[in-house]
Amino acid sequence: MRVVIDYDRCSGHGRCYVVSGKLFTDDDAGYGRVIGDGTVDDAHQADAARAIAACPERAISLED
Amino acid sequence: MTTATGGGFRLADAPMETDRSAGWGYVRQQGDVVQEVDGTWLLTSPEAVRFAHRHPEIFSSARAFDSLGSPVPLIPIAVDPPDHKKFRRVLDPMLAPRVINAMEDSLRAQVRALIEAFAGSGDCDVVTDLARLYPTQVFLTLFGMPLEDRDQFISWVETIVENSSRDSTAEPAPELMEAATALFTYLQRYVDHKRAAPGEDMLSRVLLLEGDEAWSNEEVLGLCFLFTLAGLDTVTAEIGFIMLHLARQPELRRRVVADPSLVGPVIEEVLRLELPAPTTPRVVMEDVEVCGTRIPAGSQVALCLATVNRDSEQFRLPDDIDLGQAESGHLSFGGGLHRCLGSHLARRELRLVVEEFHKLIPDYEVAPGSEPKVAWPSGTLHLTSLPLVFPVASR
Repeated sequence: MRVVIDYDRCSGHGRCYVVSGKLFTDDDAGYGRVIGDGTVDDAHQADAARAIAACPERAISLED
Repeated sequence: MTTATGGGFRLADAPMETDRSAGWGYVRQQGDVVQEVDGTWLLTSPEAVRFAHRHPEIFSSARAFDSLGSPVPLIPIAVDPPDHKKFRRVLDPMLAPRVINAMEDSLRAQVRALIEAFAGSGDCDVVTDLARLYPTQVFLTLFGMPLEDRDQFISWVETIVENSSRDSTAEPAPELMEAATALFTYLQRYVDHKRAAPGEDMLSRVLLLEGDEAWSNEEVLGLCFLFTLAGLDTVTAEIGFIMLHLARQPELRRRVVADPSLVGPVIEEVLRLELPAPTTPRVVMEDVEVCGTRIPAGSQVALCLATVNRDSEQFRLPDDIDLGQAESGHLSFGGGLHRCLGSHLARRELRLVVEEFHKLIPDYEVAPGSEPKVAWPSGTLHLTSLPLVFPVASR
């Protein structure tokens, strides 16, 4: 599974990289970016779930 | 949830003064989409508010900010797409977390000095001694203006905010116009000064933009004006709310003092429950159906973020601080493309206040006999006073 950000929805709240710094980072404008290809290994399932819940725009999802 | 129309509902009648849980519960009960007696449509459900956030072409922000007596467009909140993007592309990087990191030491020293001024006295009023002062100092620091102007600045902004009305058709009050003119004259002087001799501050960086990116004088003033209207009393209010909840919940406070990693979560929970800007205005540009209710073109709409944040379907404890639900995606900084431009800075200010306050004053309570209240109805929901008493540490 991979995390993805829908940039039509993302408005730069920046919660993803605060709650899950392993999967997300911030860009120069303070918007979230997926680290690498976003693959979520077993150790980071909870991180992914936290980021999905924390996004006010519901812009983060898991993809196969 | 049913929808209601008419029926004599007024947001101002919600019992908000001492308990926002009662107030917002009352509002939510009215329905997903409810019309106030003055004609404004209030959207209270998550579905309705998110729909508005995702359709800025229908729900115009530009048309909704005419009531503040501003002779310039408030940049960027009073700009709709596609022009809006031009401003945010420039402004977002100036207020990104990594930029604020570079200011943190200065901002921390400033809040510490404000707290030290009363830490030895055994009592303080959080609102007047700290919360009113700090956000304006941060603004002056960010924009490269002298901190000595703080009190004059606060006086103008408070006059403007207190006299601004939610009804954009009403004539602005004379004292509002007077304060707005004085603030404008002050800001124009700094814009002229920094255009001639730019510094490292944010205002100078906007003035240095060239070519297609260059801003007009009117746009620069509009940005300054928006910062002072949206970025000062809101943070003032939130500092008061956070300290109120920590004062009333000593066990929670002790946990936060013992474990600094809980500072962020407790701030998020208070932000969720206590919104300085609980509704945001829009004007609908075409007839639109929201949650089964038809809203005609030209209507004033208020997006009720406060009720979305207390959605009983999402939250186990919608009206309580629960650190386990702290990262819930609340909408206290709005949503969609008008998400609060200063949200990262505001969160940093709040964190620095909580950290520094508790280093100096870890134990305190609301002064016996006082019951902190919010001014209501009010443009910005805020405590009018928060007197605290605390033991003075021997040094």
